[in-house]
Amino acid sequence: MTNLLEPGPKLRRRYRAEKIFKRMGLSAIIASLCFVFFLFYTIISDGYSAFTQTYIEIEVSFNKDLFTDANISKADFPGLVKKSLLKMFPEVTKRQDKKLLYSLISPSAAYTMQELVEETPKLIGTTQKIWVLADDDVDMLIKGKYQRDVPESNRRLKDLQLKWIDRLTAEGMLEKKFNTTFFTSGDSREPELAGILGAAKGSLLTLLITLSLSFPIGVAAAVYLEEFAPANRWTDIIEVNINNLAAVPSIIFGLLGLAIFINFWGLPRSTPIVGGLVLTLMTLPTIIIAGRASLKSVPPSIREAALGIGASKMQTVTHHVLPLALPGMLTGTIIGMAQALGETAPLLMIGMVAFIVDVPGSFTDPSAVLPVQIYLWADSPERAFTEKTSAAIMILLAFLIAMNSLAVFLRKKFEIKW
Amino acid sequence: MELTANHASNAFPTMLSEEMLEEAEQSKTLATARKTVGTPFVDTPRMTCRDIQVFYGDKQAINKMSIDVASNEVLAMIGPSGCGKSTFLRCLNRMNDTVLSCRVTGEVKLDGTDIYHPSVDVVPLRARVGMVFQKPNPFPKSIYDNIAYGPKIHGLTKNKDELDEIIETSLIRAGLWDEVKDRLQDPGTGLSGGQQQRLCIARTIAVSPEVILMDEPCSALDPIATARVEELIAELRTQFSIVIVTHSMQQAARVSQRTAYFHLGDLIEVGATEKVFTNPLHQLTEDYITGRFG
Amino acid sequence: MKLKTIAAAGALSLLLCGPALAARDYISIVGSSTVYPFATVVAEQFGKTTGYKTPKIESTGSGGGFKLFCGGVGINHPDITNASRAIKSSEMEKCAENGVNDIVEVKIGYDGIVLAHSKSVAPLKLTRQEIFLALAKDVPDPKNPGKIIPNPYKTWNEINSNLPPTKIEVLGPPPTSGTRDAFVELAMETGADSFDVIKAMKKTDKEGYKALSQTVREDGAYVEAGENDNLIVQKLQANPAAVGIFGFSFLDQNSDVIQGSFIEDMPPTFEAIADGSYPVSRPLYFYVKKAHVDVIPGMKGYLDEFTSEKAWGEDGYLADKGLIPMPAAERKQYHENVAALKTLEMK
Ligand SMILES: Nc1ncnc2c1ncn2[C@@H]1O[C@H](COP(=O)(O)OP(=O)(O)OP(=O)(O)O)[C@@H](O)[C@H]1O
Ligand SMILES: [Mg+2]
Repeated sequence: MTNLLEPGPKLRRRYRAEKIFKRMGLSAIIASLCFVFFLFYTIISDGYSAFTQTYIEIEVSFNKDLFTDANISKADFPGLVKKSLLKMFPEVTKRQDKKLLYSLISPSAAYTMQELVEETPKLIGTTQKIWVLADDDVDMLIKGKYQRDVPESNRRLKDLQLKWIDRLTAEGMLEKKFNTTFFTSGDSREPELAGILGAAKGSLLTLLITLSLSFPIGVAAAVYLEEFAPANRWTDIIEVNINNLAAVPSIIFGLLGLAIFINFWGLPRSTPIVGGLVLTLMTLPTIIIAGRASLKSVPPSIREAALGIGASKMQTVTHHVLPLALPGMLTGTIIGMAQALGETAPLLMIGMVAFIVDVPGSFTDPSAVLPVQIYLWADSPERAFTEKTSAAIMILLAFLIAMNSLAVFLRKKFEIKW
Repeated sequence: MELTANHASNAFPTMLSEEMLEEAEQSKTLATARKTVGTPFVDTPRMTCRDIQVFYGDKQAINKMSIDVASNEVLAMIGPSGCGKSTFLRCLNRMNDTVLSCRVTGEVKLDGTDIYHPSVDVVPLRARVGMVFQKPNPFPKSIYDNIAYGPKIHGLTKNKDELDEIIETSLIRAGLWDEVKDRLQDPGTGLSGGQQQRLCIARTIAVSPEVILMDEPCSALDPIATARVEELIAELRTQFSIVIVTHSMQQAARVSQRTAYFHLGDLIEVGATEKVFTNPLHQLTEDYITGRFG
Repeated sequence: MKLKTIAAAGALSLLLCGPALAARDYISIVGSSTVYPFATVVAEQFGKTTGYKTPKIESTGSGGGFKLFCGGVGINHPDITNASRAIKSSEMEKCAENGVNDIVEVKIGYDGIVLAHSKSVAPLKLTRQEIFLALAKDVPDPKNPGKIIPNPYKTWNEINSNLPPTKIEVLGPPPTSGTRDAFVELAMETGADSFDVIKAMKKTDKEGYKALSQTVREDGAYVEAGENDNLIVQKLQANPAAVGIFGFSFLDQNSDVIQGSFIEDMPPTFEAIADGSYPVSRPLYFYVKKAHVDVIPGMKGYLDEFTSEKAWGEDGYLADKGLIPMPAAERKQYHENVAALKTLEMK
């Protein structure tokens, strides 16, 4: 007779095992949460500063005699910037010091001037106060990423430059502002000019190709294999091969893409269309396998019910099986897409690991993608690219989160309650 | 010619010895068919089945069965679990086609047409020979859509009013109308087990089949719902033929005109229900209905 | 039905191939990752100041670059390849096989390879012989110089008592990297040559000499740190005993936290590398496909930009990025070569 009030030793042991199991599960979850938080913390604490950029206000007089040529772009804009700086610091006379002074301002200042004048030619003959980008070294100093207290010879910014920067700061002519450039331009070798838009758009275009090819092809293949294909040796061979393909290292797909799409079809290198095709090859097995698994999970009684009242095979699949399997298929697709979004190895082979400044406008413009941009920036010698790297990772994560939420939304929308 | 001879010989009860029975059970291959006793054939058949054999892979599940389904009759199939009732039933609308390992030989005719003929399309066949499954299997859609699906794919209605009417009559005949008339848009899977089964019956009769195959339709129903389904069966009989598998001998006795007794893949005895239950010809049938077997 | 699918497939492939048939309106550059940071600056400057599109630059490594470059003539092949070494005759042959006959070689400057370590300790002063002894797999036995033994040195002061007593721990590039090739050739081989035993082998046993002078030790004292030089810089900051090997531009950008070791009493400074007194430096190049110069828009402009004084001159913007300029005469020579599109002779 077991005592209901006093559990025996056997029962107690069972409960203990249960408790240990529960605790282990909980600590596993806590540990993984810790890693995720740590990851987010390091990335955000490294990268948040990239969203502001240091600007310096300079007073520019657009003298008429500078713009004698009818073609405005021929004017000496770098000279204009230099002149303005010298006017602000008249005490600088030595050649060496002048060079130091000029290096406070980003080389982009000249382009800024050019754009301004080209936009509103009326500026010619006036004097304007204009905020221009500071050099990345100045920016790093302002953001506290350079130490001031090391000997001058060991610093990228010399004592004289520090003095000027302090003066500018005190006069309110040096400020951190929101970094719009980061969101509106492509890659650059000047950290202060480098932006993520080119890579983000490249990723978007590439994934569009991948999604629009791999989803329909993957779903069609999964439906055919699962619902229509006769069970014979050929189907077995195809099945084994698809499973093997899912395990093939992604760089192989890059080699394949290089051989077929670029060398054989003659598609242009480094473009989203080739990248999309290569990533399609890579994600197809994932989508097919996930698709088949979710088709398998549809209970056979639903198929019988439909067939039993005289639905054809096709109607059974499209009216009943597919809607039930779709949420699972979407999940598989999103996993495939997320993989594709983070992939660089196969893109190396088809030339997408490249320095590309112009933001791609179409599927056949050369473009990079987000992970490639991260890789390239992480490998750049300039210190200021460190924060850009982290910021780019944040953008990539945002992309991922957006894609996942879309998947969750779609799944919720298509999910059929039992 | 052969058939008549067979028919004639079946008129006499053939008693099988216990040893033969055991032998057949041991071999499991059912190599030698047992002759069916009773009256498997009728004068005006709606469906005729001759020498039906069904194999699942190498395993034989049904051994040379021959039986007719008459017009306007309810044919009950009884027998111990696993004896092949469902398998046989599924031969009548070719549902076994969907089971990959399943192979059917023999001849099944619906109004004189061999339904296993290569040029026969299963889609209209299944519209004419409807089926209610052993386990309720409503679509994960609304109650309305569950019933509307059949008429829609077969193009039975011209407009929404006609469709609404079919849905209402089907639900009324299945005895579900009063329970669901206010929530036709609720999911069919949200109903109770018994309600789901009646929904499936309504779904089947909505396409007005000529023959309805019912596989234990009442196994999940309470006595009230069962009575309603039995009423429905009686009513449907005026237009259709019904083949019903049941484990309840009382039910078989209540609703059917003829009863077939299955045993381990063999059709042992077919006869008028009254006769089978009161005066069975075969020892096995008697054992079963008196509760000595199964 | 079938016809329709075939037609659709045809239309799709036409659609896909269409853009490839159109002309390319940007310069396509491939090649060395060492030259990449310099070439990209020029490309960007060129793109921003002219009406042309910014050239596209892939970082494929020198070898990979030549492979693509020599693939043929036509818009699907790159116009320029960057290299951290001169083209090999085997590569020239490959080029010629594919119809790439006229190649213009442009030397753009020098890159110093530095051994750097944390600022928190005194700078190392090394000779190339000591570098060899610290990093080779097998070295001559100090007690019996005729015999070759597995590298016995664990700390720097075992090699030379003037060096610190810290463990030998060098972070460097993997064998796939051009920096590693150059380092092995310029520092280790020269160091090995300072031993008569090894030098003698050069004539008698070429294979053995190569293996001895070029094989880096695998007992953990040399750590392959991957291609990311920024990572090495971070590790050096964390571990003052560690020494890292990378290109001068990384030292130049991080001079507040790390310092370069002296080699043969020369510090790795801009000036010392430029005048050739710092011994571990190598020339950098790019190669131009002459047949493309008049076909791809902007080629002439890009070449002009790269070989202009404001780019590769002593005060040019490339020097700001860490490229060590060539002497003025050499610059002039190459500028003229480029202007005349003087092609390489088959060796
Ligand atoms: N899909 C299948 N594959 C293999 N064997 C099957 C399959 N379906 C049924 N069988 C076998 O065929 C035989 C008859 O099964 P069937 O389902 O027709 O029995 P049943 O008479 O309906 O039993 P129950 O009264 O329990 O429903 C059983 O031995 C069963 O194991
Ligand atoms: Mg059954």
